[in-house]
Amino acid sequence: MSDPSTTSRPILEMRHISKRFDATQALDDVSLALYPGEVHALIGENGAGKSTLIKIMTGVHQPDSGAILLDGAPVRIHNSQEAQTLGIAAIYQEPMVFPDLNVAENIFISHRNRGAFVNWGKLHRDAEAILAQLDVRLDVRMPARGLTLAAQQAVEIARAISLNVRVLIMDEPTASLSAHEVNQLFRIIESLRNKGVAILFIGHRMEEVFRVADRITVLRDGRVISSRLRAAPEELDAQRELMIREMVGREVSEFFAKSTVPRGNLLMSVRNLGKEGVFSGITFDIYEGEVLGFAGLIGARRTDVGLALFGIEPADRGEILFEGRPVQIKSPDHAMKLGIAYVTEDRRGLGLTLPMSIASNITLPSLRRYLSALGLVRRKEEQHTAESYRKRLMIRTPSVNLEVAKLSGGNQQKVMLSKWLNTQPRLLILDEPTRGIDVRAKAEVHHIINDLAAQGLGIILISSDLPEVLAMSDRVLVMREGRQMGVFSRDEATQERVIMAAMGQKVSPNGRPQSAPATQAVEL
Amino acid sequence: MNELRRRFQPEQIRELVLIGLILALVLFFSTQIENYLHPRTFTRISTSVAVVAIVAVGQTLVILTRNIDLSVGSIVGFTAYATGTMLAANNDLSPPAVVLMAVGMGAAMGAFNGVLVAYGRVPAIIVTLGTLAIYRTMLVEFSGAKSVLTSELPRWLVNLPPLNAFSIGDVEIRLLFMIALIVVIVFQIIVTYMAWGRRLYAIGSNPDAARVAGFPAQRMVFTAFLLSGALAGLAGFVFLARFGNITVVAGQGIELKSVAAAVVGGVNINGGIGSPFGAFLGALLIDIIDNSLIRWLAISEFWRNALLGLMILLAVATDTVVMNRLRKAWLRHELQTSSAGLSVEQEGARHAT
Repeated sequence: MSDPSTTSRPILEMRHISKRFDATQALDDVSLALYPGEVHALIGENGAGKSTLIKIMTGVHQPDSGAILLDGAPVRIHNSQEAQTLGIAAIYQEPMVFPDLNVAENIFISHRNRGAFVNWGKLHRDAEAILAQLDVRLDVRMPARGLTLAAQQAVEIARAISLNVRVLIMDEPTASLSAHEVNQLFRIIESLRNKGVAILFIGHRMEEVFRVADRITVLRDGRVISSRLRAAPEELDAQRELMIREMVGREVSEFFAKSTVPRGNLLMSVRNLGKEGVFSGITFDIYEGEVLGFAGLIGARRTDVGLALFGIEPADRGEILFEGRPVQIKSPDHAMKLGIAYVTEDRRGLGLTLPMSIASNITLPSLRRYLSALGLVRRKEEQHTAESYRKRLMIRTPSVNLEVAKLSGGNQQKVMLSKWLNTQPRLLILDEPTRGIDVRAKAEVHHIINDLAAQGLGIILISSDLPEVLAMSDRVLVMREGRQMGVFSRDEATQERVIMAAMGQKVSPNGRPQSAPATQAVEL
Repeated sequence: MNELRRRFQPEQIRELVLIGLILALVLFFSTQIENYLHPRTFTRISTSVAVVAIVAVGQTLVILTRNIDLSVGSIVGFTAYATGTMLAANNDLSPPAVVLMAVGMGAAMGAFNGVLVAYGRVPAIIVTLGTLAIYRTMLVEFSGAKSVLTSELPRWLVNLPPLNAFSIGDVEIRLLFMIALIVVIVFQIIVTYMAWGRRLYAIGSNPDAARVAGFPAQRMVFTAFLLSGALAGLAGFVFLARFGNITVVAGQGIELKSVAAAVVGGVNINGGIGSPFGAFLGALLIDIIDNSLIRWLAISEFWRNALLGLMILLAVATDTVVMNRLRKAWLRHELQTSSAGLSVEQEGARHAT
């Protein structure tokens, strides 16, 4: 990889940018250059200043000091529309598509020079041409509603390309993608790179960052800590470790391995659990003190099993034995009475009541315990509980009376955990507990999981982060398209085996993967 | 079949079903009511549907952006009364000037709603609930509790309702109905073929994305309210022409009827789905039931309101249940057969193993 900074001029350059919000110095003298045809990764914990930097590049915020140079000339970017005119576009974790419009309309929605009337034929042809440039095949007449996240992102990228974007900012684009959707995205990034687009890639998954980036910059507490070209393959591991250390500013292993806890009594047995058209044949046992990982690609229906076990979307076949007694879990209320808690992946939608305080959120499912004889909430006890969880789970907040909306993702996750731990469960189902949270918070969540298992809780850990499932679980159950592909013990569960099972590949005697007859294309 | 599926999205099917339903109802009532298939029935229904149809088109524009306009009934009443008073005072005002005045007054009232919703960021339901009361009170104050009487109005206006635009055989197309039809057609073309119209859908479909997509979403929401007001103003004029006698309660309940027409006509209350043509069909269906039930069972005014409420509930219920199923069926089909997959995918999967 040649270093473009010696041969070409950056398209966009940020020079000595500083930005302050009230008491926090969000950015402190940050300089960064984006070169044509270079994928520049920006890594850092949540709160390191990545989003602020993006917002300044896209005109949402104005810097307090410093300069933005486009093709060497200083520019001011006042809003996202202006950024777009200058050729700077951003795509986010949650694609910004319009579900009721079709693919072609989604691509051209921002265009102002296509006339007041829509020429549908031309619109569809132009959309097809742009998707072809990206090597993407999609029916442009199909409404965006049905598209997978990966396809929606492709549409967003196509929109940016159609606007002759020269700088594309991708803010955690892989956070909700399955492994091979990530591959597709990286292929698209590759073709953008070949076109000479400058790409700023923000990511939390180190493996991906070091796979896709030409240059990696570490941001910590609003400052640039280091900026390096990606190392040669043989030095990549060392570089990755170094840069993770730079991110957190202290030694932290990226993954907290599960400590061995002696297996307790059988907690729950599930036999042939199924739900019409969703999943079938789920069979497993879980013991006290055990972490059972659920691995699989997006669309493997792992969350649906979680929802069934917690009674939100009850299963319609199979049996569940909870502590030896057959049960039918028909509602969350019922599940809670049995001692099951489910921590959702959808923090903002299902997990938390954002405008309410931390304390109110924590006591919500167990509010009955906090009522006085008159049926009023005993605030003091509520505060006391919240304070104890704040200490125990290291929730970083000035007060437990703060709105949950004001917390970072990692701290919100901990509030959600507190909320469900406060129901005193025996079995805890964690759905993507570390998605979208920073490295330090992630390590802390892993630590908490270990603690809980040591206290004898059974834990089902649903996670798309494969290294995480493998490191944290005693056993790993692999699903694919609603079917159970196998349960692997800790020793058997290698990355290759689990991925192959998740993708429907069989392992032949000589260890080479064989294609299973099932089609892979349906996954998207 | 594939081409058909692609052409007819579940939303269009809904409109076809609505047309079928209307035909079935007409057939049913024709067996129950003597002389039902008489051209007079058509005339009666077509004149009575004109006001609500015009308002429902404006309502549709607003609902498409995930907002609602509850003030339209008061705007209809206000403009009907105000133009009526002016005409009563001066019988020589030219017809185009009167229409323009009605539309202008409505537009001003709609613009006030629009400013508060789009730029003030006050929820539409609050703003228009407020102006529903305010505009009505303005009318009461302005009128001094007096009514506009047909006898005070100029001849041309009183003679307007029975005036035909043209007739097909015995079926007469009244001018007022024609105005409504033209409004429906013009706005149907706007939302189908103009960038402005398509972006209305975008706003209701994903308001957050619309804000950063690089088109003036705020201004468009403002304009939608302005147009809704302007159309309510036009409907106010039609209302005046049709009834002649205008009291302070004129137009009350039209907000409910227009929302009902839109929702029954397949406009999704959460925005992004629906069309003026659908809303027109909704208005027609409601009016047919309304008109025919009176003749069939002689039901009372109160029952008619309950019926309207029931139809809204039914429409929303089918919307959530049936449409979801249809959409799922479409989706399943698309996943199975079309090239919904990205082409890079199969290779991607191969690389990953």
